[in-house]
Amino acid sequence: MTGTTLPAPRAPFRPQTLIPYAVLVLATLPILVLYVWLTYSSFFPRIEGFRPVGPFTLENWRFLWDPGSVDQLRNKPAIIPLTINTFLFAISTSVVVVLISSMAGYALSRLPFPGRRMFLGGVLLLHSFPSVTLLIATFIVLRQLGLYDRLLGVILVKAAFELPFGVWIMKGFFDTVPWELEMAALVDGASRLRTWWRIVMPLVKPGLLALGILTFVQGWNEFILPFVFMPSGSQQTLSTFVRAILGEGRFVDYGLLTAVGLYYVAPVLVLFVVAQDQLMRVYAGGVKG
Amino acid sequence: MRVVLQQLTKRFGAVTAVDALDLEIKSGEFVGLLGPSGCGKTTTLLMIAGIYRPTGGAIVFGDHRVEHLMPKDRGIGMVFQSYALYPHMTVAQNIGFPLAMRRGVAGDEITRRVREAAALVHVDGLLARKPAQLSGGQQQRVALARALVKRPDILLLDEPLSNLDARLRHEMRGEIKRLQKEVGITAIFVTHDQLEALTMADRVALMSDARLQAYATPKELYERPVNQFVAEFIGSPPMNFFAAELGRRNGSVLATAQGIEIELPPARAPRGDGQRQATVGIRPEHLAIVAPGAGHANGEIYVIEPMGREQIVDVQIGERRLRAIAPPGFSAPLGASVGLRAAVDQLHLFDPAGGERLA
Repeated sequence: MTGTTLPAPRAPFRPQTLIPYAVLVLATLPILVLYVWLTYSSFFPRIEGFRPVGPFTLENWRFLWDPGSVDQLRNKPAIIPLTINTFLFAISTSVVVVLISSMAGYALSRLPFPGRRMFLGGVLLLHSFPSVTLLIATFIVLRQLGLYDRLLGVILVKAAFELPFGVWIMKGFFDTVPWELEMAALVDGASRLRTWWRIVMPLVKPGLLALGILTFVQGWNEFILPFVFMPSGSQQTLSTFVRAILGEGRFVDYGLLTAVGLYYVAPVLVLFVVAQDQLMRVYAGGVKG
Repeated sequence: MRVVLQQLTKRFGAVTAVDALDLEIKSGEFVGLLGPSGCGKTTTLLMIAGIYRPTGGAIVFGDHRVEHLMPKDRGIGMVFQSYALYPHMTVAQNIGFPLAMRRGVAGDEITRRVREAAALVHVDGLLARKPAQLSGGQQQRVALARALVKRPDILLLDEPLSNLDARLRHEMRGEIKRLQKEVGITAIFVTHDQLEALTMADRVALMSDARLQAYATPKELYERPVNQFVAEFIGSPPMNFFAAELGRRNGSVLATAQGIEIELPPARAPRGDGQRQATVGIRPEHLAIVAPGAGHANGEIYVIEPMGREQIVDVQIGERRLRAIAPPGFSAPLGASVGLRAAVDQLHLFDPAGGERLA
């Protein structure tokens, strides 16, 4: 090492380096335009093409504080209980999936039980199975269990559909935790259960977080299951509410629709912005010390 | 605490990883399990630790059999090859973990003993760091502190030095040896590096193919290997071997091969008359380069490798090559004719059939 410090060499600018950005901008632009359109059209009385008409107004957002004055919302459940319902649905699904996936994934990653390979294959197969085809069978099962038209029933069904993905992802995360760490914990005096809880689980925390967030979003966006299995009003979720606005009456109030739509996607957008680092790890995989 | 292995066996399916191993380790002794990779040494260590359940045989700590005990109930501390520090915990939490797992150790007691153990291996300045912020040597020391903090009866080390660079390895070799004696703990370590085994251990158990080949002090292993495998494995550069005919002349035994003729001193000659053939082994440092015709063999210089303190000289004799060690001043052109003189009382004779030592 010499005493003088040379300035770090800067890579010469090459126009080619802009190409990926150009492609990405072009690809994301339509999506961005849609969100912008959604946002501003909820604040104006009328939209012609992409152009808002009339003065800025909060008229479309009245459903939040004065739902009684909106014609379309007569005979519909109130928005706040619906929102709570949706949160309850998404969070419960997420908790159930994370809990079961972390245990099943650990077993699949570590224990050489008979039928393990077949089970893994089955999990993959289920993951790629279109769940809509199971609707009727699920309906019968829910009726039998007395869980039809109840939030709990839909939570369990949604969790079951999300589990294959969760189990597979968590197995991948557990695979990255070295055996020697567990051996060390056993020698250091921990039981197997404690080793799992104190050593292994903290190391797959990124996976748990990412899986939890993804499942939450899946639950938040879920439409078919609540729509089919919770027909009565009080137990509905926001997705079925949006559909109700769209599908009833001869004319659709697009101002109201955009406002409710924005209200519906906002939590997901916020969550993605806050948690994108965590979500990336599901695909990048791996534990960093 | 003394450790005794009796007929210890481990099979994985059809593969026998450890085959009827008998070993006795005295209290306070430092024993190295040495052997090429796949010889079963790590499997043996993991059975002693309680990670693997033996297929057969017994493990005795003191006067008690422990095969059925969980690792946590065996009173052992262990250092892993990768150190296996818990990445999400600080150094202090890592070292304190074995104590935290125990019932009835108070918080301030843990803090005190963590400091004590950290000071013992000179990492007391790093307690707040995470393992990822430590160098390899520091991680190694933390792993040692964690293994020792609960004052175990037995310390196990799996390839403790293999992840360190050459300089650090030398330093830690001495450090671990000093620490083991200072604490006075019975310790067993696994290594594939004969230099580590010879320099650190009180006694070395040399294994190959799931079996124990030799169990002796480093000096005995080096000076009087019990079979050809041991002779080959121990020593660097490795021992020279050649097949020789044994004959008698004037009452003494003569070993001859193409271009080589050595008269064996009585102490090194096989007893009885039966043996006609033998594999002769001689270490490079026991072969001296002399003028042509003045030694036991004649040949040409094949290559010279200066090592600083000495030079390794390969000499071609007919179709075989023998390796000798020459002083730093030695110099000769390649292909030059030289003689080789063996220190005859340092010869080793092995049975060509089974590899057992003849004399």
